[in-house]
Amino acid sequence: MGRNFRAARVYETVRDFLETDVVKRAAGQRARKPPAWFSAVQMIPPTELLTRPHPIQHSPPDTNARRPHNVYRPTKIVYPEDQMRYQFYKDHPWELARPKLLLEHDGKDGRHRDWSKGLRQPGMALSGESVVQRQLWLLENTPGMSVAEAYDAARHEFYKLRQQEDIARRIAVEEARYVGAYFGKGPIQVSMINEDKAYDEWRVWAYGHIQKAAALREQGSAQVVDMPDVLDVDVGDEGAAAAEAPVIPQ
Amino acid sequence: MIIRNLAIRHGRRALASPVSRPWLRLFSTQPTDMATAFAPAPATTSTGSTTVTQQSLDEAEALKEAKRIRELQFKNMPGEFRELRHLEKRTKSLGSEIVLDAYVPDESLKNPPDDASLEMLMASQAHMGHNTSSWNPANSRYIYGVRAGIHIISLESIASHLRRAARVVEEVAYRGGLILFVGTRRGHMPVVVRAAELAGACHLFEKWTPGTITNRDQILASAPLLMVNHQDDPLNGFVEHLQDRRPLVPDLVVCLNPLENYTLLYECGLASVPTIGIIDTDADPTCVTYQIPANDDSLRAVSLIAAVLGRAGQRGQKRRREAAAEGIVTWETPDEDQRFIDRKIYLDEKEKAEIEAARPQTRSGPAAEQATRGDFNIEQKFAEMFKNGNTGGPQGRRGPPRASRRR
Repeated sequence: MGRNFRAARVYETVRDFLETDVVKRAAGQRARKPPAWFSAVQMIPPTELLTRPHPIQHSPPDTNARRPHNVYRPTKIVYPEDQMRYQFYKDHPWELARPKLLLEHDGKDGRHRDWSKGLRQPGMALSGESVVQRQLWLLENTPGMSVAEAYDAARHEFYKLRQQEDIARRIAVEEARYVGAYFGKGPIQVSMINEDKAYDEWRVWAYGHIQKAAALREQGSAQVVDMPDVLDVDVGDEGAAAAEAPVIPQ
Repeated sequence: MIIRNLAIRHGRRALASPVSRPWLRLFSTQPTDMATAFAPAPATTSTGSTTVTQQSLDEAEALKEAKRIRELQFKNMPGEFRELRHLEKRTKSLGSEIVLDAYVPDESLKNPPDDASLEMLMASQAHMGHNTSSWNPANSRYIYGVRAGIHIISLESIASHLRRAARVVEEVAYRGGLILFVGTRRGHMPVVVRAAELAGACHLFEKWTPGTITNRDQILASAPLLMVNHQDDPLNGFVEHLQDRRPLVPDLVVCLNPLENYTLLYECGLASVPTIGIIDTDADPTCVTYQIPANDDSLRAVSLIAAVLGRAGQRGQKRRREAAAEGIVTWETPDEDQRFIDRKIYLDEKEKAEIEAARPQTRSGPAAEQATRGDFNIEQKFAEMFKNGNTGGPQGRRGPPRASRRR
């Protein structure tokens, strides 16, 4: 408990000490010289500390509240695009699987955007964010447009562009294959291989299961007296050999 | 890229002999295995048996071939390197111009900026505080709001506090103060060293030894000291004084991670040393004199802030040196050094007077009398000098020697 204010009061401490320099005064001498930082800190005082001003209100405060709570707590930052982003990614969840670049260059990206021109912007990948910004621009700049209408307009433009990308990707693969490129296994191929592996494993397990079940049945019927030999069929040498070797049914 | 076309395009070897194998390897997509390329030839195993099998013959052949290739690579390397550099120069201007400038992680080290704009601070992630539940409410004045579960530090407050701290660094450097840049986290070393280099300051990137200020007579006993004049030239004649003198205390400490340097900042508080520190939303703002509320976990943000402070120190040093060149000294000799100088002058004069007095006097006349009278009154003269708390010594613009900032 208790705060340490020595750091905040370095100037006052040294100033008071210099003014009342007991040792030097007793010797009849001038007070000590101030340290090199003294006049600099005197000229540039530290900022206010530990006060809690009323925080910035990012949403209009609740006027119905008789006794507002958490008056000094920082408020949540909200933007009109937040609801639009929520709606878009709820409708298109696989757009979240697209890689996203988080690194900024100089923080001036916003200056190069012009959402009147469409969804494609220089230095920005086509994504849900493009749709949301375009939607906002349409909402603000087209008279009589509702949120839903702007959303529909923006996302249809988006679908066209994604379709173009898909076509371009397909053609690029064809062209690459034509000049000798080869690719790794596609998703369907990988799935088929995994399925085959799983099936083979299952077969081995299933045969073992059948053998165990047969053994249990034999055990269960051990009390039964053997039937007379007249029922045994003479299958010959081949049949006997085949009957003895265990065969996993194909 | 096919080697054949490369040679034709750049013309030098269009009709020359076929490219040698080592050069092919230089441009191939297969990386040259440097370990095997430069590995010494394996020692031939001496076996007891004298029979020579076909397998051992093949192995010997393979070894010889490998050795030949290695030697060829070694021989061709300087020439190949020259070729490579030439081709790089020729092809540098080709290609698209979309990405002319991009983010380079050490841009703050190579081109330290004079000031950080709000956009630069945001791009460096300086505004990203910690989880809202791990905040220190004492920092609420620096916080803009809450977003994605973290506190966002106000960019304006970052910029204004950074500019204030930069002014302090500049002014302390102008007044010849000893500044120390401290950054003890991983990745802080080049940042702190560069900032100190710019500002003519000292740096620390390893653990602060507790007691380096409060117990400095023990810990810094072996640290060398240097006496310099107003133009930063070393001075002679202070060897004994520097051996007896107490170690130095910094005049300003800039700490890039105050949360991990509590002891250092506490000692600075005890010794009345002003401090500057990067205060994140979970840090204690009272531990430093000048707070810079910013993200201390982002190396990019820390690097930017340290670069701005380093540049400020550089400006202060430049102003100080320019003033010194004109004969204006912006600082005063510290008390203990001044005391030594005055005492030395006094003792030297006393010694001179004694020598003069001891010398046999052969002169006569009023001039001689005046001279001798003057010499014998030297003690009285100095007593008068020191009477009214005057510490003596040369005053005024031509600065006296001062204690060093350097090790």
